[in-house]
Amino acid sequence: MKLSANRLERRLQVSGILLILGLLVEATCLLWTRPIAFVVFLCVGGLLLVLGVLLYLFSLVSGNQQER
Amino acid sequence: MSSTPLLLLIAVSAVLIGVIVFRPGVTATAGGKMLAFFVLFLLPLVCLGIGTTYHIDNSKRTEFCLSCHEMEPFGKSLLVDDPAHLAAAHYQNHRIPAGEACYTCHTTYAMFGGFRAKMQGLKHVYVHYLGTPPAPEAIRLYDPYNNRECLHCHLGARSFEEGAVHNADPDLLPAVKANKVSCVSSGCHEVVHDVASLKNAKFWKGAL
Repeated sequence: MKLSANRLERRLQVSGILLILGLLVEATCLLWTRPIAFVVFLCVGGLLLVLGVLLYLFSLVSGNQQER
Repeated sequence: MSSTPLLLLIAVSAVLIGVIVFRPGVTATAGGKMLAFFVLFLLPLVCLGIGTTYHIDNSKRTEFCLSCHEMEPFGKSLLVDDPAHLAAAHYQNHRIPAGEACYTCHTTYAMFGGFRAKMQGLKHVYVHYLGTPPAPEAIRLYDPYNNRECLHCHLGARSFEEGAVHNADPDLLPAVKANKVSCVSSGCHEVVHDVASLKNAKFWKGAL
């Protein structure tokens, strides 16, 4: 996979990668029934998902600013 | 709550996100922008929300609490074949949901009780992995057991309100309801989890 030369598209790609990683952590934790799974789910999976979503939102805002 | 639907949702989400990652050019069209909003914003938050609910529900399960070795003797104490053992009698007779036995008695039936239980659970995880867990016999409650947790179910129940022992002394029931006399005090329901003498105990081998 190659990152796009376009800044907006590159940010969307990185956001997607973060989200896929977060979803993978989440899926793993669903199959793992130990108490530590809850902690990993929230601290690692949740953090990756929130970062991915925030980067997506940031890419929208920064994209609009560039258009102006 | 089965995890299969959520796993399917996660798989579908990951595939759709993969489309954006490998073909970011699709976001140039109106449809692509809508797809990006759906899969990079809505779906991950939905997965996170449902996953959190799943984990919170799962953390109430008896097997979840007993999955740490420190808790194994407490799990065994639920199978002691002696009706005088409070926890065992409640568990074996389904006076509490057998699948959520620990949580039912050890949560706080007050505002933010569930949240407080989760915070204490996080502390237990920390001690389990990074601290020095005490021996099972040395594990104690943070605070003395509050009658409020017993009264959540027993208050108003005929066996509790009209029980001969409870009414032998007219001052007893008001004192119990006011949490001035503990339900688990000496001479009352004092044997709860007698993990120190499990070696000599007889165990129930009924349907679980």
